[in-house]
Amino acid sequence: MLEFPVRTLVLLLLSSAMAVSAERDNCFESREGFGPVNTVKTENGESNIRCSEETGAVLWWQDAFEGTGPMHPMLHGARLQKTPPEESSASEQAVIKAIIPTLKLYPVCGTACHNGSYPPLSDNSPRKLVMHMDVVPDASNLQHGKGALWCLDCHHNTQRNSLLDNFGKEIHMDAAPLLCAKCHGNTFTDWSNGIHGKALGEWQSHGKKRWFGCSECHNPHDVVNGESENGFKAISPEQITTKDR
Amino acid sequence: MSTQARPTQLRFTHPAFLTAFFRYAFRGSKQYYLWLGFLVSFIPPLLWGAHRQFTLGMAVTGLSDQVSWGIYIANFVFLVGVAAAAVTIIFPAYVYQHKALKKVAVLGEILAITAVCMCILFILFHMGRPDRLWHMLPALGVFNFPSAMLTWDTLVLIIYFLLNLCAAYYYLYTKYRGGELNKRFYLPLVFVSIFWAITIHTVTAFLLNTLPARPMWHHSIMPIRFIATAFVAGPALMIIVFLVIRNKTRLWIENDAIDLLSTIVVACLGLSLFLMLSEIVTELYHATEHSEGLRYLMFGHQGFNELVPWFWFSLLAMLVGWFALMFPRIRKNYSVLPVICLAVFMAIWIEKGLGLIIPASIPSPIGEYSHYSPSLVEVVNCLGSWALGIFMLTILTKGATGVITGAVQWENSVPKGEHSHA
Amino acid sequence: MPENIPLKEIDVTEKPESPGSSASLSRRKLLEFSAKVSTVSLLGAATLLSGCDDSSAQVSWAENFQKAYRLMSADEVAAAIKRLEARYSEHFSKAVSVDSSKAEPGVLFGAALNLQKCIGCRRCVKACTLENNQSRTEGEETEWIRVLKMEQEPTQQEDAEHYYQSESVPQQNAHYMPISCMQCENPPCVKVCPVQATYREDDGIVVVDYNWCIGCRMCIQACPYWARRFNWREPGLSSEQLNPNTHYLGNRPRMKGVVEKCTFCIQRVRKGRNPACVEACPVGARKFGNLLDENSEIRKVLASKRVFRLKEELNTEPKFFYFAD
Repeated sequence: MLEFPVRTLVLLLLSSAMAVSAERDNCFESREGFGPVNTVKTENGESNIRCSEETGAVLWWQDAFEGTGPMHPMLHGARLQKTPPEESSASEQAVIKAIIPTLKLYPVCGTACHNGSYPPLSDNSPRKLVMHMDVVPDASNLQHGKGALWCLDCHHNTQRNSLLDNFGKEIHMDAAPLLCAKCHGNTFTDWSNGIHGKALGEWQSHGKKRWFGCSECHNPHDVVNGESENGFKAISPEQITTKDR
Repeated sequence: MSTQARPTQLRFTHPAFLTAFFRYAFRGSKQYYLWLGFLVSFIPPLLWGAHRQFTLGMAVTGLSDQVSWGIYIANFVFLVGVAAAAVTIIFPAYVYQHKALKKVAVLGEILAITAVCMCILFILFHMGRPDRLWHMLPALGVFNFPSAMLTWDTLVLIIYFLLNLCAAYYYLYTKYRGGELNKRFYLPLVFVSIFWAITIHTVTAFLLNTLPARPMWHHSIMPIRFIATAFVAGPALMIIVFLVIRNKTRLWIENDAIDLLSTIVVACLGLSLFLMLSEIVTELYHATEHSEGLRYLMFGHQGFNELVPWFWFSLLAMLVGWFALMFPRIRKNYSVLPVICLAVFMAIWIEKGLGLIIPASIPSPIGEYSHYSPSLVEVVNCLGSWALGIFMLTILTKGATGVITGAVQWENSVPKGEHSHA
Repeated sequence: MPENIPLKEIDVTEKPESPGSSASLSRRKLLEFSAKVSTVSLLGAATLLSGCDDSSAQVSWAENFQKAYRLMSADEVAAAIKRLEARYSEHFSKAVSVDSSKAEPGVLFGAALNLQKCIGCRRCVKACTLENNQSRTEGEETEWIRVLKMEQEPTQQEDAEHYYQSESVPQQNAHYMPISCMQCENPPCVKVCPVQATYREDDGIVVVDYNWCIGCRMCIQACPYWARRFNWREPGLSSEQLNPNTHYLGNRPRMKGVVEKCTFCIQRVRKGRNPACVEACPVGARKFGNLLDENSEIRKVLASKRVFRLKEELNTEPKFFYFAD
């Protein structure tokens, strides 16, 4: 029980750090609330990105690959349907922004709280989790899966920094689309073919592309949010000038 | 004829002819000068408008990306019709040997020349970059022929202009010299120009109706409708011109000539109304998306109804004019006739000017309704261009009456020459 | 003095075949003549305008007498580019590059848009404007993309909303349809241009030679997709707004009185990059690629999705495909 105040302290510290960075980064790429990005001046004096003054959405990238790294080999391999994944990594350049740096609590999740043994897994029935109400207000009523899912259907029950595949094995957080593919197989196929989801970079089939992972556009904890229930949260549109002539 | 003058005929007399022609053309009564002054008064606003438009850009017009063709093109299309309608004088004159018309057939050619000049003026106003017109010149630029209908239109209009210029100049010059017309030269010119008159208006119709993007225009009926309405507007204008000439100059134009023209007006007006009815029935019976433009023109659309009164005025004027002109008594009443002619002329101007050009853009090809009304700059430029055109028509017609009546004649300027003309 | 326009050094063998090539000799002479005339008038103008910076005046004079871009020799293209880069860089006081890269063989560009995904956020519209240096004057912005909002009830295109101002998108019971240039294989706009100022490049992009356009707007009338815009006034574009990476046939700053349109971001795609609208789309509704490459994303869309093209019945053969999952 002594651990509890320490955890709270850590959480408080981390959330205040998040608030500071949120103030600085007012641009977002696909969905609001995910992956705040900074404007950086490039060598020619132009900003790397241009954001909408109205909505804060990034509208234009000078360098599409700023802040990206190679796609996780597991994901890359699954996408290309090649095993072992190493073979295919050189065939095309798929880069992605790693999710982990955007998860501010990630470094402590697996150690401070969920170190593999704590808390003891006594109950696997959906219920409200007081510690996680900022992410999911009511885990017993998750806005994803129409009542059929809750936390531990996706998050590994002991290795909390990992996700869970159909056989109880871990999926690395940076290979998250493999988790989504468990249910959304067709969508994953389309994504793998490059015809679902956002992409930046080159158009050539062998070109260098920046891929977007599922959660960069869809909030896995709140995916049915939005009036249209199309999986993408409603955003404010850019406005155009009305011409009355 | 004037055998004594023959040696002098070898001399280059064109400058003398032109001097005599324009000297006569610019000489007239006080009333005449008032009329010319009235026309000239439109020129300063025209210069202002032109200056604004050429320095600030087309933004000073009421045009927009939605309605990018407006009153300039409307006037252009209408005036091509007026130019083509010269044939309603020349055809009876030379094919049916209509005596009264043959005497004044050159006035038809002058009308054609003037109308083509006005067309060019309106095109210059319409263009975003008139300074780059040279890009169309065959040797210097690129002339996208035969692909672009606009190049066809340019060609046929220029050739029509040259044909009429040659025919009219040759006719007047020969009359001035008191010689005989060389029929081997003159008649082919006249017959080609008769044929050519039809082509200019047909091609202008093709310019518009070959655009499937604009369903309002995409009708095979357009060329014949153009010619029918042109043969209303042109002769209607000529009737007015003839009546003015008859009353104000020494040239007497026979009733016969005017009566034939009014018969042409009534026949072609009937045909125009019939074609219009055909189009309206075809379009509105099922009122598909393709009829949106016509419905906008006739009835308006949710507050977009600038053209509705114009359309109904035009239709009413055409119907009343047609009905009235069917009675020979009205047709031959030369104080009522010009009024009807003016109304019909304006009705056609609306019908195939604004009423044809604007609804093709409203709604836009992707369904946007927008407003268009000509700006002040457009209005003064149009009025100025019309004034310039009417000025040109007045001058040329006045000069021509001088030649036809014999007041402007080579012998007159040669003291010793013999005067022998009928 | 203006740089000597290399009119005299035309390599005849390098001249691309063109409808006007038979008349090229006389054209060259006339051009030389007009260049001389222009030099003379230029000197006069330069003395008159001595207050203004005369290098830009000279440059625009030389520009006035250059010939159609696709009839230019390699040298002439280089000279024209040099002139433009100098003028733009001076005018916007930053380094502006004008690219002239040509179509690559074996490439035919096509684009697709997933109507089921589009949420009507108009980011493509804005991204296009940022990328392509459209005019932005007070209260008026030139946009190459128009997004229509349609009710899900049976509807006609005429009932679509063009200027919807929702708080958020997508609105319930609405669907959205962006429309821009379809890059037709059989482009009506190209057919009707009297001076061939607009034409189809070998990779299927329909472009406008802004220096050759006479502003008759015939192409605007001929386009069934309302994809073309006209510069009604001198375009307004500030130095900060300017995207300095330009292409001669694409996003270089335009002038008053000429037509412009979407070029699939020719300055990007000729260098391998996706168009700006494709990148800006937050839902990945826009796809782009080489129609001749069966591994391309666009071909995968065509192979696996239900696809239609807008106003196909007009025989325009658009290379812009709408699809649904």
